[in-house]
Amino acid sequence: MQLFIRRYGTLIGFVAILVFFSAMLPGTFPTARNWLNITQQVSMLMVVAAGMTIVMVMGDFDLSVGSTASLAGIVAALMMAAGQPLWLSLGVALLAGLLGGVFNGAMVSLVGILPFIATLATMTMFSGFAFVISGGKTISGRAIPEEFGSFARGGVSLGEWGGVAVSLPNLSILAILVVLAIWVLLEQTTFGRRLYAIGGNMEAAHLSGIAVKRLRLIAFSLTGLAAAAGGLMYASRVASANPVQGSGLMLNAIAAVFLGTTMSRHGEPRIIATVIGVLVLGVLDNGLTQMSVDSYVRQVLVGGLILVAVAASSVSQARR
Amino acid sequence: MAPFSPLLSARSITKAYAGTPVLKGVDLVIAPGEIHALMGENGAGKSTLIKILAGVTAPDSAEIAVDGRPVSIENTKAAYRLGLRFIHQEFNVVPTLSVAENIFMGRLYPRRAGLFVDWSALNAAAAKALTRLGIDHIDPRLSLGQLSLGDQMLVRISAALLDDARLYVMDEPTAALTREESERLFRVLREIRASGRSVLYVSHRLDEIMALCDRATVLRDGRAIDSGRMAEITHDDLVAMMIGRKVEEAYPPARSNPRAEIVLSVSDLAASGIGPIDLEIAAGEILGIAGLSGAGQAELVKTIFGDMRPTAGSMTLLGAPYRPGSPAAAWARGVAYVPRERRAQGLVMRRPVFENITLAHLHRQSLGGVWLTPGRERAFARNTGQTMRLKSAGPGQPVFELSGGNQQKVVLGRAVAGAPKLLILEEPTRGVDIGARFDIYSILRDLAAQGTAILLVSSDLPELLGMSDRIAILRDGRLDAPIPAAGLGEDDLINLCYGRSAGRKTT
Repeated sequence: MQLFIRRYGTLIGFVAILVFFSAMLPGTFPTARNWLNITQQVSMLMVVAAGMTIVMVMGDFDLSVGSTASLAGIVAALMMAAGQPLWLSLGVALLAGLLGGVFNGAMVSLVGILPFIATLATMTMFSGFAFVISGGKTISGRAIPEEFGSFARGGVSLGEWGGVAVSLPNLSILAILVVLAIWVLLEQTTFGRRLYAIGGNMEAAHLSGIAVKRLRLIAFSLTGLAAAAGGLMYASRVASANPVQGSGLMLNAIAAVFLGTTMSRHGEPRIIATVIGVLVLGVLDNGLTQMSVDSYVRQVLVGGLILVAVAASSVSQARR
Repeated sequence: MAPFSPLLSARSITKAYAGTPVLKGVDLVIAPGEIHALMGENGAGKSTLIKILAGVTAPDSAEIAVDGRPVSIENTKAAYRLGLRFIHQEFNVVPTLSVAENIFMGRLYPRRAGLFVDWSALNAAAAKALTRLGIDHIDPRLSLGQLSLGDQMLVRISAALLDDARLYVMDEPTAALTREESERLFRVLREIRASGRSVLYVSHRLDEIMALCDRATVLRDGRAIDSGRMAEITHDDLVAMMIGRKVEEAYPPARSNPRAEIVLSVSDLAASGIGPIDLEIAAGEILGIAGLSGAGQAELVKTIFGDMRPTAGSMTLLGAPYRPGSPAAAWARGVAYVPRERRAQGLVMRRPVFENITLAHLHRQSLGGVWLTPGRERAFARNTGQTMRLKSAGPGQPVFELSGGNQQKVVLGRAVAGAPKLLILEEPTRGVDIGARFDIYSILRDLAAQGTAILLVSSDLPELLGMSDRIAILRDGRLDAPIPAAGLGEDDLINLCYGRSAGRKTT
């Protein structure tokens, strides 16, 4: 019974939240259109949290993902404003995220700085870069090409459901593709298996012939790349870029992964669990907004929920 | 009325986990002033029995009395009040604090002006506590982490001896100790006994128990067997009580002679703390490395395994130059390794058996080195498990659920599964029960017969003598020329470790 609560407590909580909002908001919450809307609302967080899962599988953290997301948005917007083609702007922005990740990985695995401290420092650095190159200004309006902003508003039509035209947003499709790719990487490849081994016992992994340093470097690079992708999706959604717009993503991404670990055996991060963690946060946000709960109150509730979920799972773990 | 009132009498103890009985009416009676051994194979219920005495686990039924008065041990505090002290393998100490601080942890530190800690008084009191045990080589001001594991254990014991306890329960205290550290511990235990207090001593090492203990309680299949007085029984009697049958030999016989082909050749090798070292191991040979703790065993192994850079010298593997830059490079050349600490260095405890076995072989047990093939991996692990005589619920069982001996078989299985050219073992049977130990020895013999060269680093002298073809002594980072193991005795080895020539007895 306790094991059941430990593994499925968060899932049961998720269902309870769905039932609660459906009861409170029968007209607007349990509708196909709202749920598709939620998938779009969480798509940026989904991509960043999925990337975060990669380093957290190894027992590491990346606090710089929010700054990386902001920086990527700024880089792309500046290049577009300078008349560069869209593909090049996006490519360079993604490359910036990748290089930021490489830098994080080098600090952690080659220099040997604790991930918490290394990425706390780069969080500040990347954010500083974003301010420096943008002059602290928001880049928007005519500087941003129309097709970049319209991408986020578009979607793939799913036909009519109950007389209402619905479509799967492009951003949701992107998020699903990224999650699938990371699922394959973590669950189906030797790379993922080795990351889990590093997370379980770094010394044993090293002595078993796993190139721990190289893998940590690669993992941080991928997390940086995913953070940049999330930042670009955000910029597309608001058709603008400013140097702080990604800053909320980091805490939520870590929270989502933690919520996920409460569902997995032995408390390991798993990508599927992270997806549910992101959905919990997204549904809460959506429902509470619709109930006109003040956004600061929402913060208190979401923070409390994370504590309850993690405490419940660790309490029952301690009693085992 | 019994001739004496036992210090502790625990009778008819039963305990079942999820319907599976672990203890089926066990009696354990300990007299005052006695060193009492608790024995049994892994999984025989020793830990459960100790946890019941410690108040950690509630028995299903039990009649426990201390000094003839019936008691119930509801929690760890109750056990403490009854004068029971528990000193575990993985003891809780703070390595960054000083020896003195660790000894007085949880007690009032001496104060100056009622406010400031009087450090010199604290250190003096700690030194006094250590001296009481005849320990004068430990500076109480050193931080605990700087001491050897054996010295840390002695510090822990001296802390436990500060107050007036009745019974000390020690779970494999010598598992991590060298021989001289163990000897020091035994002297302390004998002093405890002389003062009328008692020790419940859990160990797999029969020789120790024969030499140290007055009586033993042997657990087997959930029942207890009273050994009677240790002076009146033999080593073989004790083994028979433990495994329920007679064993003929502790070590399987060698089945082939080493071949002429040299697998590993090391010349003038030096690294931080060792060297210059010359060494040759032939195919099919088991070369034992003996030495006092800290003589350079770890450095030698790390250098050969690519985890430490040599500063001079050269190595060849099967005639080709060998200079691994990492453990990965060593594995790639067919060098396998069983590390000293299976939990800290060997196993990913929460992952399944099969993942632990294939960890070093993923490049071959996958598609193109990239795609996982769980079916193939499980089959590979199942095969390895059969070779190892591994007892598990299947390849998917998490390793932390296995007994110590079976965990060790997983680590060894990983090393053996790739048919290594050279196998490096450090303390391969530490904390492993007799049955699993014999299995491990048999597997090593099989490997040697197939031509694997084996480097066996161990502090277990009977094991070195029973398994090695030749033994080399490591002393202060230098390796003596190996000598044939046949005809050597433990005394000879000890003398050699201390730098005296074999055969000359100490006085």
